[in-house]
Amino acid sequence: MWMWFAKLGSPRWFYEISTKWLPWLASAMCILMIVGIVWALLFLPPDYQQSFTTRILVIHVAVAGTSLAFFPLMAVAGTITLVWKMKLADMVAKHAAPLGAWFSFVTLATGSLWGSVMWGTWWEWTDARLVSMLFQFFLLLSVVALRSAIEDPDKSAKACALLSIVGCINVVIIKYSVEWWNVLHQPSSPLSTSNGSANGPEFWMATGVMILAVYLFFIVSLTLATRNEILQRERRSQWVQEIVRTS
Amino acid sequence: MKIHRKKKLGVILFVAAGLSATVGLTLFALGQNMNMFYTPSQVAMGEVETGRRFRIGGMVKEGSFISESDSLKVRFETTDFVHAVPIEYEGILPDLFREGQGIVAEGSVDSRGVFSASKVLAKHDENYMSQEVKAALDAADALKSNNSLQSISER
Amino acid sequence: MLEAIQFSSLREFFEMGGYAFNVWSVYAIFSIFVLVNMLLPILRKEKIIKELKRRASFEKAETNSVREP
Repeated sequence: MWMWFAKLGSPRWFYEISTKWLPWLASAMCILMIVGIVWALLFLPPDYQQSFTTRILVIHVAVAGTSLAFFPLMAVAGTITLVWKMKLADMVAKHAAPLGAWFSFVTLATGSLWGSVMWGTWWEWTDARLVSMLFQFFLLLSVVALRSAIEDPDKSAKACALLSIVGCINVVIIKYSVEWWNVLHQPSSPLSTSNGSANGPEFWMATGVMILAVYLFFIVSLTLATRNEILQRERRSQWVQEIVRTS
Repeated sequence: MKIHRKKKLGVILFVAAGLSATVGLTLFALGQNMNMFYTPSQVAMGEVETGRRFRIGGMVKEGSFISESDSLKVRFETTDFVHAVPIEYEGILPDLFREGQGIVAEGSVDSRGVFSASKVLAKHDENYMSQEVKAALDAADALKSNNSLQSISER
Repeated sequence: MLEAIQFSSLREFFEMGGYAFNVWSVYAIFSIFVLVNMLLPILRKEKIIKELKRRASFEKAETNSVREP
């Protein structure tokens, strides 16, 4: 039963399997990204209140939703690092942190650009949803800083793993902030399957395509970064030298 | 799983559980302070002292909006369908502002019981729909209330 | 679901119902975000391979020079 687990932890196995999968994932990402953007920009009907600003929300919702995946991912990877000392888990965690900071920043920026015209404000310090998302951005930056602050790679991996596990609490707060407290931010929309009601497929289909595209982008970008890390850390091994020679 | 790994995993789970309990209790203790605004009912019940700056959130009452033609001064009432609080504001309103829409206003209640706002924000709900769908839903609603009126008058 | 294109002219499309700045800024930010996070790791890989190649040839030359005398 532990065989696949041990195999998964081998950087070489990961590098080889991702070589096979990457072209497929990347092309699926490109297609979905183009379909999602064209659909949102050209075909999404204007909302009865917000007019064309729903085009902002298609991007905002997709990026914001994906940004919540980073801390759980880093926590799982961190736990594996702490308990089983698997090299690959730490490599993934190391590159997830800066990418997650990007995701959080884009979530905040796109949200601000919508809020400035719809709510009448760029930023509200009293809104629990907005502040907890800003906190996630700072937490991810501090994980990045922590990684470079501690020189011993083993120790820095352990410290980052702990911070990642703790950071998961904030994800729960972000998710439920709109239900627990009175805030300006709207709660997530219930999806409707009929075309003649609020939140019908005409609205969420484009967002659905965009969410898939952004998730794929997250996976592809993180895999590319992890592969670079593998090449560097395993540069003395026979199989990496073989790759270098043939490329 | 080897015994020392089981132990390590146990410690991690224990620390994580402890931390979430701490954070949960802190948030619970903060409670009301984490809320961005008071509701009109809370204000009407006197939960906020007069003169204190705070935020109030509710719906703009239908038919209550009055604007002066020569200035940016507006007057409207905000309601949670139990109590209504009158609001005075001078300035530019957000694009989403209209009757029946949720708003959050920042300011304080004066001696007349009027909330004079220095900032008005529009709140959007979780419903998105096109103009056509909105028109169709409104028509259906109108039909429904017409029918119920008819059935009342027939009786 | 896929209804007609929502604009009757190119100008209308760019205007986005008066929200041109906000809508187009969001799509610009998003495009930069995606491009940077795809291109950076790809360029970095090329750099790493180049560096490892240079090192390999350097080590090869060193072992050769040790053997020669």
